[in-house]
Amino acid sequence: MFEGVEAFYRPATAREALHLLHRGKGRARIVSGCTDLVLQPDRNIRFLIDITHAGLSYIRRRNGWWQIGATTTMADIEDSAELQGVAGGLLPRAAATCGAIEIRNMATVGGNMANGSPAADLATPLLALDAEASVESRTSGRIVRRKMPLGKYLGEARSRGMRNSLLVGISFHNPPAGARCGWSFQKLGRTAIDISLVNAAAGLGLDVRGRVRWARLALGAVAPAPLRMAAIEAATVGRTFGRSLIDEVCEVVRAAVQPIDDQRASADYRRHIAGVLTKRALEECAEPVGCCL
Amino acid sequence: MNTMELRLTVNGEVKQWTIAPGDILLDVLRRENYFGVKRGCETGECGACTVLINGKPINSCLMFAAQAEGAQITTIEGVGRGDRLDPVQEAFLDGGAVQCGFCTGGMILAAEALLARTPHPTETDVREALAGHLCRCTGYQKPVEAVLAARSAAKPRRRRARAEVTP
Repeated sequence: MFEGVEAFYRPATAREALHLLHRGKGRARIVSGCTDLVLQPDRNIRFLIDITHAGLSYIRRRNGWWQIGATTTMADIEDSAELQGVAGGLLPRAAATCGAIEIRNMATVGGNMANGSPAADLATPLLALDAEASVESRTSGRIVRRKMPLGKYLGEARSRGMRNSLLVGISFHNPPAGARCGWSFQKLGRTAIDISLVNAAAGLGLDVRGRVRWARLALGAVAPAPLRMAAIEAATVGRTFGRSLIDEVCEVVRAAVQPIDDQRASADYRRHIAGVLTKRALEECAEPVGCCL
Repeated sequence: MNTMELRLTVNGEVKQWTIAPGDILLDVLRRENYFGVKRGCETGECGACTVLINGKPINSCLMFAAQAEGAQITTIEGVGRGDRLDPVQEAFLDGGAVQCGFCTGGMILAAEALLARTPHPTETDVREALAGHLCRCTGYQKPVEAVLAARSAAKPRRRRARAEVTP
């Protein structure tokens, strides 16, 4: 499994972790919750760098931004009273589906993103919240921090392009709230806590006449990386929300996704479910808005 | 092969073990004779390898041993005291919730963590807490009933307090 590992480090800061990662010359791996890493044994790994003591476990609000540290666990997010009150508790609801409690006590939001899985349960809600990834890397001896849209990060993580960088946290601007806003997370798996066959997250804001002020929609496990449906979101703005708009959005979603066939589900089934979950998500978003469908 | 020292507390006893940096916690615990920690799927699906780390259940097959540095670990050997079983163990025996016993240790630890956090869980809470534990003998009804029985066994005094305020 990991017989080639020569050293296990527990850096106290992200900076120290990055120096170790650099010294590992591609043969070091970041350790966080481990629930994915341990299942990808690799004899070429020489160094393990455990970042769970590097001060990256936090959920906090700064100047209108929510910041979640990379090593914050699914259980931490699920239990966060503060996050229960943000976007209808979208993140705690999604985190609660990420495996059994034994997994949720270990798995972290950073690992969920950095692993680059198209089915990552927190990816779609974070995309719907317009989240950014804070990434640190070492460039000519200096440590540089940059923020990038989460969607871009996920695409690069998928292609292993982020192996020499460290995801230190996720942040998103305090989302729109109020009487005419709603949010939803939808997931279909073999059980409520199994890996997503398809998942979807949506947000919706309507004006007093029932027209769309803003919309957010993201789908998971239907393409190489989780998808933010930005074009569809923009096309709904100003339209009257109702059955025909929902049907139209679902049609566009079914045409836009590129799911795969695997042992869990066929591409056709995933495509169909992408439409079904989009419909359910938009319907749930409309509930607190008091919209009659 | 490189080695390192691991210091931790297992079932209340301070331990120091020499491990390889890539060792998995499950392997180390079994090597140190904690055979109540079962090797099942080794992919985090079955829950047989569950231990409590600082009171929280985790799958020891998915964790590097080195991550447990300084941690308080509870294995099934640390529940109850010798022949004196704790209420959850008693309830599993009384309710016939044990068949081959392979999944039982993990289930009891998950139940202990649930009851420590939520002394009066609903049946849904119990089913959610046991969701990461696979039983291949017959099923889950008896273990769920056992945890619910342990819940009432643990806190029998509540009703009396309420009766006193009833006019």
